[in-house]
Amino acid sequence: MTIAASGKAEIYALARQRSRIRERLSAWLLMLPALVIVLVFFGIPTVYMVRMSFNLHIDRRLYVPGFTFEHYANLFSNPLFTNAIWTTVQLSLLSALFTVLIGYGFALLVWLKPARWRMLFVGLALCPLLISEISIIFGWWMFFPKNGLLSYALVSSGLITDKISLMYTEFAAFVGLVYVTLPYCFFILLSIFDGIDKRVLEASADLGAPPSITFREVLLPLTRSGALVAFSQSFIWAMGTYATPSALGPDTLWTMGYLIQEQMLGKHNWPMAAALSVVLVIGVTCVMVMTRMLMAKRVAFHD
Amino acid sequence: MTEAVQEPEFTTRSIEPSLLQALSLAFTVFIVAYILIPILVTLVMSFNDAAMIRFPISTWSLRWYHDFFGSPQWTDALKNSIIIALGTTIVSTTSGVLAAWAFERFYIPLKDFWYLLILLPLFMPGVVLGLGVAISFGGLSIGSYSIYGTRELVIIAHSLWAMPLVFMLMEATFRTIDHRIIEASYDLGGRPVQTFLEIVVPMVSTGIISSALFAFVISLNEFVMALFLTDRDTQTLPVLMWLSLRSAGTPRLAVASVILAGAVFACLTLIVLWYVRVLRRTMR
Amino acid sequence: MAGETALELERIRRNYGSVVAVDNVSLAVAQGEFVTLLGPSGSGKTTTLRLIGGFEELDSGAIRIRGERVDHLPAYQRDTATIFQSGALFPHKTVAENIAYGLRMRQVPRAQIAERIRQVLDIVRLTEFEERYPSQLSGGQKQRVALARSLVVRPTILLFDEPLSALDLSLRLQLRAEIKRLHDELAFSAIYVTHDQGEAMAMSSRVAVMNKGRIEQIDAPTRLFHEPTNEFVYTFIGESCCLPVRITSTAKPQDRTGQPVELKLEQKPPEGEWRLYVRPSRLKLAAEAQNAPNRLSAKIHFIEFLGDFYRYHLKSGALELFSDHRGPTGYKVGDIIDIGWSSRDMQAYR
Repeated sequence: MTIAASGKAEIYALARQRSRIRERLSAWLLMLPALVIVLVFFGIPTVYMVRMSFNLHIDRRLYVPGFTFEHYANLFSNPLFTNAIWTTVQLSLLSALFTVLIGYGFALLVWLKPARWRMLFVGLALCPLLISEISIIFGWWMFFPKNGLLSYALVSSGLITDKISLMYTEFAAFVGLVYVTLPYCFFILLSIFDGIDKRVLEASADLGAPPSITFREVLLPLTRSGALVAFSQSFIWAMGTYATPSALGPDTLWTMGYLIQEQMLGKHNWPMAAALSVVLVIGVTCVMVMTRMLMAKRVAFHD
Repeated sequence: MTEAVQEPEFTTRSIEPSLLQALSLAFTVFIVAYILIPILVTLVMSFNDAAMIRFPISTWSLRWYHDFFGSPQWTDALKNSIIIALGTTIVSTTSGVLAAWAFERFYIPLKDFWYLLILLPLFMPGVVLGLGVAISFGGLSIGSYSIYGTRELVIIAHSLWAMPLVFMLMEATFRTIDHRIIEASYDLGGRPVQTFLEIVVPMVSTGIISSALFAFVISLNEFVMALFLTDRDTQTLPVLMWLSLRSAGTPRLAVASVILAGAVFACLTLIVLWYVRVLRRTMR
Repeated sequence: MAGETALELERIRRNYGSVVAVDNVSLAVAQGEFVTLLGPSGSGKTTTLRLIGGFEELDSGAIRIRGERVDHLPAYQRDTATIFQSGALFPHKTVAENIAYGLRMRQVPRAQIAERIRQVLDIVRLTEFEERYPSQLSGGQKQRVALARSLVVRPTILLFDEPLSALDLSLRLQLRAEIKRLHDELAFSAIYVTHDQGEAMAMSSRVAVMNKGRIEQIDAPTRLFHEPTNEFVYTFIGESCCLPVRITSTAKPQDRTGQPVELKLEQKPPEGEWRLYVRPSRLKLAAEAQNAPNRLSAKIHFIEFLGDFYRYHLKSGALELFSDHRGPTGYKVGDIIDIGWSSRDMQAYR
């Protein structure tokens, strides 16, 4: 019960320090596997890929170490590539727009419905997520062509006389792309809606507003920023998807993703594939950053 | 003053209710049809007896199911898919859960930075990730084994998406744990590892299982990365399906789709059953 | 029950950045003593408890349990057991498994565990509850299981972290009596944290009143009430009325706005700004106040009926006070009456 001798005090201080160090170490040890995955298997490839995009490509060899801007120059001058970029952006914007429109309606529907229905619809919305993209492609593959279900249904119901094929059209690619990005958009928007107190709608109706006014004056402003986020996410996702548009769309529909795959596996031109990837990633990142900045401005305004 | 209508959504005085109802019904039908079309078409076509994909279907049989399971190429692909998916699940769930726990329990400097960093691969298109891994690691060999074409490489590539997802979900889940329960465990003498395994994990078991399921599904269905990283021996079912798309215009692909989806739904049902059993026990 | 000191705190200190949460606190708890840390929120009482339990780290000082230093040890190596505010029961374990946990960590043999669980459940009067889950228990039952879980490991010292704050009043009183009974029966050593002075006074052998990280006074409850060492303790324990007055050497005493008040004091304090405190229960009204050595003339401002008694709120200028009386006294709002008290029941602080 007396004051400890100064020597002993140091021992305890040391013991405390040691346990503090052990704690720090355990934290990093726990993080280690995840960090290895990210830094080694994502970080290194990223660096490598950027470096690769500046390499040379001579005849049949995959790549030749060197430094050149020719691939980037080619990318931005060669109409093959510029068209592909433009096509990708266009298609992605259009599909993102429709995805958000449909997703918004769907989410609104589910949000307003009672609990029983919600489970059903959420389950439905989950289905495209649980199914592989290739299965989805194949499903539409059997729907659009001349002998597919669409044609058969239209003919047998008498709406048209001749078999019709919508396969390998931009429309088919568009339908497929919207299908693939819809679930993500739906869930984003649903969570936005869930953040809104339903009583706001009741209050609006109580004050005499018909549904259209309530929608325009109350719901729309509240969900505007959420819809923006959903739009940009859908856009980004559409930009990255190449399988669906290339399988369902015309052979002239070249997306960036498809070009990357082609340069890699078809043309064995690694530096070009890398350059395409870098441009794609930078584009996607810019969109994300812009969205975030716009969001921040809106949030500040609403507060 | 406002009349309440049977509609649970809005009260209104105008003639709009019936119009609104009709519109929302039409929209619902549209959505349900839109989502179900490819699914139903595939399901139906898988029972087609003919060798061509065409409607209407005249004869029904299980012929193509037999064909699928009789073909080594396809069953091997299925096997590969499942092995890789299991591997991805184990790798990404373990690393994701541990990292999320570290985030929650310990002090880590610059947490926001590390959080963003770990989630970064999730925002990259699959093409880019697959390309990156293929270019960087494809040419390597450990000893006499070439890494390219191995299942392990695909597992790691898939984990680039799966691990951040698990991490994100579990980080949010861990934040909902009452700290004092963990302190109670320490207080009674439970050491950190013991506490984690015996107290924390059971409390977040539903979160862990859901994340693991997501990881499994992502990996099972993924083919863009796998396309870059597998060879003929290790190709997964989705990859094989993609490669056969132009050539095999037979219902075999429909069968493959059904089986792939079947694997996912089988897992889902198992887990739902497990949930019901466990939750009923503790939450009565 | 005397013997070694169960717990000793020696000038412990804990900072959060520039805020000093616990400021050189020293305290000794004898075996079997029930000491309460009482104070408003932010006084450092909870932090002190967490430092003892090992959930926070000391910045300086020493903590000894049974004479051995423990402040370098993590929580799972200290011989303490904490009862948390919400019970903190393991939700996925049964009552029996919850209680068994601490015993298992201490390597108590299996056969003994079952027996001890049964014993402790008897003590807290939850005998048939072994197979229940926490979600099936009421708030009071949860706290009793938490108690059992901590008692069963027979720690050197029990730590109570405001265990009754989340319960409603009747349950609180019930469990308070329960804890007191258990302490009488089992004679465990305890540190109890609360902001409710009724709880503190009712249960403890000693109460430490804390304020801004320091212990203002630590004493038996009666001494705290009758002999507070400073203004903070005086106002924190029991009810009091504050009369801020200005004493001048020449004129009558004035309130803070300068208005003179009809205040007669037995012993006039020296000139200056003073805060006079009286206990409302010690105030005599009107007729009874006639011969009181200290008197104040005030108007009845309003009267509250509080069931068991009436509370008279009185005003004189800017001075406000109240007094409780059983049964109606016949005085109405607006009456000007005398209030009297003896000097013994007054405290003056500058």
